[in-house]
Amino acid sequence: MTDTSVETPVLTAPEHGENGARGTGSPMIVFEAVTKIYDPNIVALRDVSLTIDKGEFVFLVGPSGSGKSTMMRLLLKELEPTSGRIIIGGRELNRLKRSKVPMLRRNLGCVFQDFKLLPNRTAFENVAYALKVQGESRAGIRTKVPEVLGLVGLASKMSQMPDELSGGEQQRVSIARAFVNHPPLLICDEPTGNLDPDTSVGIMQLLYRINRTGTTVVMATHDREMVDKMRRRVIALDEGTVMRDERRGSYVA
Amino acid sequence: MWPRARLFLQEALSSVSSNLSTTIAATMTVLIGMFLLGLFIALGTWVLSWTNDVKRQLVVNVYFCTDVTCEGRGEVKRSEIEALRSKLVSLPQVKDVQFISSEEALEIQKKRTPGLVENLASNPLPASYKITPHKGEDVSAIAAQLEPVPAGVEKVNYGKKEADRVLQVAKIVGGIVLTGSLLLIAASILLISNTIRLSIFARRREVEVMKLVGATNWFVRGPFMLEGIITGLIGSVLAVILLIVAKEVALAKIVERDWLSNDDVTALSFPLIALILVVTSLLVGAAGSGITLRRFLRI
Repeated sequence: MTDTSVETPVLTAPEHGENGARGTGSPMIVFEAVTKIYDPNIVALRDVSLTIDKGEFVFLVGPSGSGKSTMMRLLLKELEPTSGRIIIGGRELNRLKRSKVPMLRRNLGCVFQDFKLLPNRTAFENVAYALKVQGESRAGIRTKVPEVLGLVGLASKMSQMPDELSGGEQQRVSIARAFVNHPPLLICDEPTGNLDPDTSVGIMQLLYRINRTGTTVVMATHDREMVDKMRRRVIALDEGTVMRDERRGSYVA
Repeated sequence: MWPRARLFLQEALSSVSSNLSTTIAATMTVLIGMFLLGLFIALGTWVLSWTNDVKRQLVVNVYFCTDVTCEGRGEVKRSEIEALRSKLVSLPQVKDVQFISSEEALEIQKKRTPGLVENLASNPLPASYKITPHKGEDVSAIAAQLEPVPAGVEKVNYGKKEADRVLQVAKIVGGIVLTGSLLLIAASILLISNTIRLSIFARRREVEVMKLVGATNWFVRGPFMLEGIITGLIGSVLAVILLIVAKEVALAKIVERDWLSNDDVTALSFPLIALILVVTSLLVGAAGSGITLRRFLRI
């Protein structure tokens, strides 16, 4: 994912049709007959094939254990598929060398249910870490971090520690960290799972705004209300297989 | 390279200060382990040096014939004395051969027991060779080479019983010192690396997060290893300071100086011990963090 051809221009919004944010036609993520079997014999994903286009906003829904998190972890190359191919931005993950995995992750923003912030570091330092790992200059850090923290509405709380922030604020920090590199793809694993409904709306609006800049957003969620309200593409998983894939879907069929 | 080193140092220092209690615990562990190790090395090498000194005192005495002692053979001839010397010098185990004439023997005896030699009419003591071996263990081998006794020699004596006892004790002491220091080294390495393991284990989620935002293994490892090195450095320097205090204050008061003033018996030089301690703890600090991290980096 180091080649520049992958990068979507972040400031030009993709075309929005009647159905809201849609893909631009070129694929961001391709799953080709992906199967993942955990030891000893638990099938997490069974022969999953799907394509997510650049600029799309996709909900991944399904009960616990349906394979959502496995898909997320496969995208981060935290896990390897048992069979099948995964292609992100034209690059096949199976062929990606271990040493290139950090490069992949710098081009993927990820947001988790439990925020995964570094304790003992301020909001500023947490966001700065994502820049430091790729050797960003101090000057770059000093301009980019306040900018993105301002974008998520935390300009005044940059020097707070995570445990001094509310859940919603912590999730905003984590989104800021995921977005600070302006990655072409943002992966969110139940980002509102730990938040109350009002706070969740704020987070969703933030993700929506990020999607409007051209970033592809894939979000696994249990939040039925949110999915039904947003009317975006919904991919429903159950027991490791794709049950539904609708352009303007809802949580239940 | 340098901006990165500075970044690692900043990361390591801020992590030292924000995990102060674990850092202090790890530093104390290093301190205690290295203090004990230093004490044992000093004591052990001193004891070894002492046993070596005792072993050095093992010699083979060859007593030459006098008119009285060798009946019928008469007094030893000068040529026989010279012949024996050249034979002894050619033996590989022999370090030094010292000739003691009967007059010198009398002088020595006079010094030791003045009353005993006061009233002697003539000198009854024979001339002799005092043979010093390279190693104390070789006295019996040298004695065996002089079997049967060469011409002009009355008897060969190396205090068999005494020598055997000295050698046996030296062997046991050496064994104790060796196993003791190996055990202590192993124990302090385990103790220190275990403390480091625990402190990293407590922060394994941090490692996971770092990897997920795209840190390379070395980017995660660097600050952690540097932290281990800092801990090892502070702990071992404190241990060295404590050892200096112990040496200068406590030892001087407990043990009378003149008993220790034998220049032939010394411990390993203090700067060398200090160096061993510091290097050991630096290595354990760095390697301990690096090895422990391996498990958590596989994400």
